[in-house]
Amino acid sequence: MSAAERVNLEQSTVLLIDDNPQALDMLSSVFQGFGVKEQIKCASATEGVRVIQNRAVDLIVIDCADPEMDSYAFARWLRRETPAPLRFIPVILLTGHASQAKVQEGRDCGVSFVVTKPLTPAVLLRRILWLAGDEREFVESENYVGPDRRVRNFGPPLGMAGRRKDDLSAHVGAAVEENMDQSDIDMLMKPQRVAL
Amino acid sequence: MTEARTLKIKTTLARQMAQPGGRTVADIERRANERLERHREDVMITVAGTVTELELVAAAAAPGSEPQVYSLASNLLATAGFFDTGPLYEAGYSLCDVADRMQTSGAWSWPTVAVHVQAMRLILTGGCKADATSDALLLGLRSVAAKARQDT
Repeated sequence: MSAAERVNLEQSTVLLIDDNPQALDMLSSVFQGFGVKEQIKCASATEGVRVIQNRAVDLIVIDCADPEMDSYAFARWLRRETPAPLRFIPVILLTGHASQAKVQEGRDCGVSFVVTKPLTPAVLLRRILWLAGDEREFVESENYVGPDRRVRNFGPPLGMAGRRKDDLSAHVGAAVEENMDQSDIDMLMKPQRVAL
Repeated sequence: MTEARTLKIKTTLARQMAQPGGRTVADIERRANERLERHREDVMITVAGTVTELELVAAAAAPGSEPQVYSLASNLLATAGFFDTGPLYEAGYSLCDVADRMQTSGAWSWPTVAVHVQAMRLILTGGCKADATSDALLLGLRSVAAKARQDT
């Protein structure tokens, strides 16, 4: 992500859900800075459910520990109980500390990303940019509904550096040289006698 | 067992972000940081208040108040996690971790809580700066946390 790269969130509506009012305000300030078209703020996941059922949103950012419905339960509801295209909405789950009981839930609830605090606008922006170029397939199975968790197999989006040093993009890219003749291909395939 | 289905999806977010226009990353980050910075003072007041609440809970060590420790420490992370509070965040995270483990296992130790809260107060008083004092405090907390992990 270069500093000169352009990011366009001017048409995007973001749903922010946080049960901590101060954190919700800060999240809102960050997204104001990002220049989103509209942000809808909710103090609970159940309020978020009502919004989703009545409004179109393009991205959900949630940090909610409400026992009635926490971030993980919300993500499971969205992925399993809503029709397409609602169930495909990208979800970023923010967390400070994930209790032992929640670590596996974080992996299995179907969110697009889990982002752990401490959090900076730069980190959040990088994740949103990643989502914009996300080429992971959406998986629907008995035990899991959500973006494919096997990021490594598909590589990072085109033009973005991977998180691991050996990450390669799945893109082959456009041809930069002339196609080979069939005879050249045949020659490559043809067994040749080699003098040993 | 039902077979998994995979779908190729292009989200509305991806389509919108592919449109020309918008702002540069540098501009967006500057704007977001400026807006976030306006909250810093209020957040530090809240964080100090939360540490005071933790001190009260730890001093009382009342039976049944154990879940409050995780809840308060977790609240602290929720707000302090937007700023560079370095060692304070690390101490708060350690408290969350040990409180979670102790609560799950039923092997609760109030002294473990108290030492975390004392360290957090010292770090907060020192302006949340990473220095030799905070390094020493965090080193101590890591030993306490390791001991708590062994016991749970």
